[in-house]
Amino acid sequence: MSVNDLLALTPILILVLGGTALLMVCAWYRAPRPLLAGGVTVALMAALAAGLVPPPATEISGLFSATSYARFFTILWSLLAAAGIMISARYVIDWRLGAGEYVSLVLYAAAGMALLSSATHLLGLFLALETFTLAFYILIACNRRCEFAAEAGLKYLLTGAVATGFMAFGIALIYASSGSLHLPEALTSLTTATGALQAWGFLGWGMFLVAIGFKISLAPFHLWTADVYQGAPAPVSGLLATGSKGAVVAALVGVIAVAGPVWHDLQDLLWFMAVITMLAGAFGAFTQQNLKRLLAYSSVVHMGTLLVGLICQSAEGNVATVFYLVAYVITSFGAFAVIASLADERGEPMHFDQWRGLGYRHPIRCAVLSLFLLSLAGLPATAGFMAKLVIFQAALHSGFTGLVLVGIFASLISFAFYLRVILVLYQSQNETSSWHPGSAMEHAVLTVCASAVLLLGLFPGILLDLISLILT
Amino acid sequence: MTAASLPQFPWLTLLVMLPLAGALLCLLHGNRTVESRWLALATSLAVFGVSLYLFFCHGDGGSGWLRYEDVSWIERYGIRYVLAMDGIALLMVLLTAFLQLAAILLAWRVEEKASYFFALLLLLESGLMGIFLAYDLILFYLFWEIALIPMFFLIAVWGGENRRRAALKFFLYTLAGSLCMLVAMITLYQIHGDQSGTYSFVIGDLLQTKLSSTQEVWLFAGFMAAFIVKSPLVPFHTWLTDALTEAPAAGSLDLTGLLIKTGIYGMIRLAFPLFPNASRDFLPILAVLALFGLFHAAWCAYNEDDIKRLLAYSSISHLGLVVLGLAAWQLTAWEGSILLMVTHGLTTGALFVLVALIRERTGTRSLQELGGLWGQAPYLSAMFLLFSLASLGLPGLANFAGEILVLLGVFQVHPVWAVIAFAGVVFAAAYMLRLVQGTIWGPAKVKRTLPDLTAREWLILLPMAILVVWLGLYPAPFIAPLHGTVAPLLLGGMP
Repeated sequence: MSVNDLLALTPILILVLGGTALLMVCAWYRAPRPLLAGGVTVALMAALAAGLVPPPATEISGLFSATSYARFFTILWSLLAAAGIMISARYVIDWRLGAGEYVSLVLYAAAGMALLSSATHLLGLFLALETFTLAFYILIACNRRCEFAAEAGLKYLLTGAVATGFMAFGIALIYASSGSLHLPEALTSLTTATGALQAWGFLGWGMFLVAIGFKISLAPFHLWTADVYQGAPAPVSGLLATGSKGAVVAALVGVIAVAGPVWHDLQDLLWFMAVITMLAGAFGAFTQQNLKRLLAYSSVVHMGTLLVGLICQSAEGNVATVFYLVAYVITSFGAFAVIASLADERGEPMHFDQWRGLGYRHPIRCAVLSLFLLSLAGLPATAGFMAKLVIFQAALHSGFTGLVLVGIFASLISFAFYLRVILVLYQSQNETSSWHPGSAMEHAVLTVCASAVLLLGLFPGILLDLISLILT
Repeated sequence: MTAASLPQFPWLTLLVMLPLAGALLCLLHGNRTVESRWLALATSLAVFGVSLYLFFCHGDGGSGWLRYEDVSWIERYGIRYVLAMDGIALLMVLLTAFLQLAAILLAWRVEEKASYFFALLLLLESGLMGIFLAYDLILFYLFWEIALIPMFFLIAVWGGENRRRAALKFFLYTLAGSLCMLVAMITLYQIHGDQSGTYSFVIGDLLQTKLSSTQEVWLFAGFMAAFIVKSPLVPFHTWLTDALTEAPAAGSLDLTGLLIKTGIYGMIRLAFPLFPNASRDFLPILAVLALFGLFHAAWCAYNEDDIKRLLAYSSISHLGLVVLGLAAWQLTAWEGSILLMVTHGLTTGALFVLVALIRERTGTRSLQELGGLWGQAPYLSAMFLLFSLASLGLPGLANFAGEILVLLGVFQVHPVWAVIAFAGVVFAAAYMLRLVQGTIWGPAKVKRTLPDLTAREWLILLPMAILVVWLGLYPAPFIAPLHGTVAPLLLGGMP
């Protein structure tokens, strides 16, 4: 590993070394506020470094790329980590979680996500995936006083272990058939392989996709999602729903861009998965009475829709997928941030009974939550609509009319369950109790997310141009 | 589209943005009811002023438009911010501004979370203006959906007993249609772009798209799904009766006067011009749906006990006549249909106002319990009688002009349709007279002393009454802007 490689890795190194430094510091100095502030600073510095330091090499040790595409996601996940720490601050202080440990785990997770988005090698991909999964195992279960946290952590651990097994075995089979773990060779050599070798290769990719399916909760591998999101603290659920899934999708965009004709052979399988994912998510959400579980199923629907963009395998499909991903990350994270900002010593408002009439108690934050929900549903003038528009446009252009119709149908059901939440928020109920007024940092994060949702909904041109620039 | 390059004052943008700004200001006024009330009134007065100015000073936007504003928006996808106004849009804008003023005066006494109520009314006005002016598919869709949100909240928060269910039903019904339209929009954009090489959502560009007949039928169906549900034609009308019944007074006024007109306006502005061949083939089906709706709704109205529901059915029945006029595809009938949209907005709007006033005073909307209001509140009853007569199409009052134009026009092309429709108009007299009889005449079933119209209520009803008489006696000034507009639409749609 040369100096150039290290220079190209600067943002990741900042995250990892910064996290480690904070972990060391907290052995002696346990005041939470400076540690949290340190964590936010480290994450922001990493984002800055990714944006400002031009990478001297485009590929690092043949494992990770340092292209502008990778940099874009490094910035996104670093900012997400900063926002995640900002909305966790009150949890860490009030629930007496170890500030140093918590912050450093979030930073490690961000490093893992950034690496995963830039992986060009199946081993790199595997390592990055395990990095943030490990961090999340702990983060999910970190609140020992919550009865659901341990269950959630265990569920994530078990499904994660199964997924890891599938992925490792899949990668081994891919290696056996193609003789390479580097992308795109591992994929393209499948077209030249013949007979049993090709069959093993496809089986390997199938197992790989199963593992991916577990990670981004594609149906039928989505059943853990609701339980885990419910049990984890809201900021962690927010990171899990956006960053951990987004990084995998970002990596898939990279894989597909170089996949060539092999992708077509997997298309039917993915088509089927996209359809059942969108429908399972939409119908699953329909009966939920708990906002966090509802958001979990909502994320399932969105993953299905993202798959629609991936299946197109066209330049505009990739642009649409990345745009959709960014819009989804901001909106969904914002929704979890609202839950986090309302949490107090009783815990988080989750069940609909706790949300009833809250629109009048906390008008601004509930209006913002409604905005996020409507954006997730895809109401025009919000980011969610533009995202759906570009992804459906790409799919129609590639001839996937059936997928678009299923997506539209899922949108219709989505509107129904999101609107149910909004109806609950604005149901008149005078005896609802107030929740926490929220800290300044939480309000700052919500302001940023809400403005971004509106800006991306009204003026998506800038981001779309940027994305198409980094994808070429 | 030449005028786009000339620097001119963006009046149309003002029409859309002014209510939006008012809505935001109202929201900022949080709990201060009085300020937000006056703010809303001032905003809607300003909008009304602007629309009056546009009515009296026709501009010339080129290419047959009175005004045309075109700004680049999302270039990557060929989405432009295009607002355009022709004679039809002008009338709809005027109607919107006028009825919105009435709605705000009607909502004057709303005390519960009043500033939010006014903000939603203004937001709705902004969305409606956008629907009537947008000339880009995505912009149109944006306003089309945006207008749903305030109405959803108005019903869900301030509505009657079953408000939540009605609000959800309203939203999902109309959304289901809209989503079909969205798919059709993107497909049309794609086909046009593949053909011409320039990808654009501007309706003016898409008019030249060459479509195979199968494509045309499917796309037309997608658009019509949205417009038929919104209009609403009969098998898809159940959301409207629920929504109208549950909505607060000002919401019902907007729903019946304006929101359901957007469906018909969408047919005129988008569906017919974009898919001329498919729409020609569809006209007989449209006529059958319209006639069926005319009778079915009239029958339901005749058997209805709740006077608000009765009026809801009468709205559906009237809109059947409007759609029948469109289906005739004839100049006189179209002008009549458009005029009838406006006059129906006024008369039925006023009736919804009166129903709200009666409900406020008596606490009931049931024909069983009403009656004899004439002795208790004579001015109110007189107004009720006036608008009821106007609604059933008495010559000399507003609806008559529109109805007779529609029937004359239809008769020239399809005499049978016209004869059947005539019977429907008689039916209208039956249920309206039943309404009048049961409400203001007859013995009072409950002895009560009712306050008559207050100054504010006079302020709402008197301008409406004057307009209703004016439109009945001398509708020419309101038909004038249609002359230049309707003929090219008919030609463009029928090769």
